Amino acid sequence: MRYQKPVFNVALRLLRNPDDARDVAQTTFLKAFEHLDDYDPSFRFYSWLYRIAINESLTTRSARRPIQEVSDEEADESPGPDRCVEGEETRQAIEDALMKIRPELQAVVVLRHVMHLSYQDMSQILQVPEKTVKSRLYSARQLLREQLLHHATT
Amino acid sequence: MSVDRYTELIHAEIDGELDAQQRAELSRYLLADPDVRALRDDLRRLCAALDETVQSEPPPDLQDRILAALPVAQTARAERRVNPVNWRHAAAAACLVAVGAVIFYSLRGQAPPATDVAGTMAASGDVVTLDTVDIRESSLSGRVSLVRDSAQLGVRFELTAPAPVDALIARGGHTLRVTDVGGATGPGGTGMTVTLPGVAQSAEQVSLTFLVDGRQVGSAVLRAPESR
Repeated sequence: MRYQKPVFNVALRLLRNPDDARDVAQTTFLKAFEHLDDYDPSFRFYSWLYRIAINESLTTRSARRPIQEVSDEEADESPGPDRCVEGEETRQAIEDALMKIRPELQAVVVLRHVMHLSYQDMSQILQVPEKTVKSRLYSARQLLREQLLHHATT
Repeated sequence: MSVDRYTELIHAEIDGELDAQQRAELSRYLLADPDVRALRDDLRRLCAALDETVQSEPPPDLQDRILAALPVAQTARAERRVNPVNWRHAAAAACLVAVGAVIFYSLRGQAPPATDVAGTMAASGDVVTLDTVDIRESSLSGRVSLVRDSAQLGVRFELTAPAPVDALIARGGHTLRVTDVGGATGPGGTGMTVTLPGVAQSAEQVSLTFLVDGRQVGSAVLRAPESR
């Protein structure tokens, strides 16, 4: 199934729980099917699917116990630029850090760096201007960096 | 030195969006300040690691779960008459192709390809017409019939259209896509019969959706009478 894997992976990266991601993927396809009449053919079909998947993922995430997120101010207070951890530990640390940033920032990171989408696609999916997408992505990268630096020094 | 400025340039460089002038500007920042170099190295390493994220395979039961939850019987229009075409139907048809074809074919994974099911039924004297629906649309006209021989059901297409027409045939939880059932390269008035897999059932319903270039141009439902 063409979109099954990317939809599942969007949810997995946003939720970090395979069972939740599976449920979100299932819900995404069902909602897409039920709301076919709402699909605007001037947009790419996968953009519409990803939008549903992201919204469902964020809804699922918000229903969980709140995650302690990192604010921009907290991130700026992190220790200075020693080099980050390497290899598998880096991957794990990145996943941990990703779960600690705000959902809208998390979403742009997933769409850009995991799904490798263009700013134009991301703008359509998130329904915000490209400028906002860039701004969010830049902020997200900064926060992730600070998180990883913090991780490397603790 | 503006933090916002060099930060923006570093991110733009990572995204491959720097022009020559901006690249030169960033180079000046990098030469002047080791902290800028450290920031750039960290962000580049971070983004490289993120870009290398391997997509996970979805759980094997996801397809079955989706399919089990889909209202399969409602996939094709359960209306006897042909619907008018508008953009919403076109969108729905596009989604049916994308979701329907993708989901139904791949999820079920048991529906044989159209080439395996399209064929000639028994000699014409043994074929009985069970139901017929006339189609009169601007982009599609003719008729479709549900036929059967001694054992199997089939759908007979006698359609004409200015462009090649594909048909989605939904029956008993399976959906088949058959190409060129009418139109420029199709059989037109000469007719074409697609044999459906499995044994014919009493009071069976077959839903048809017609597509031209992925857009729905009509639909019909054929019903077999109840056996007595």
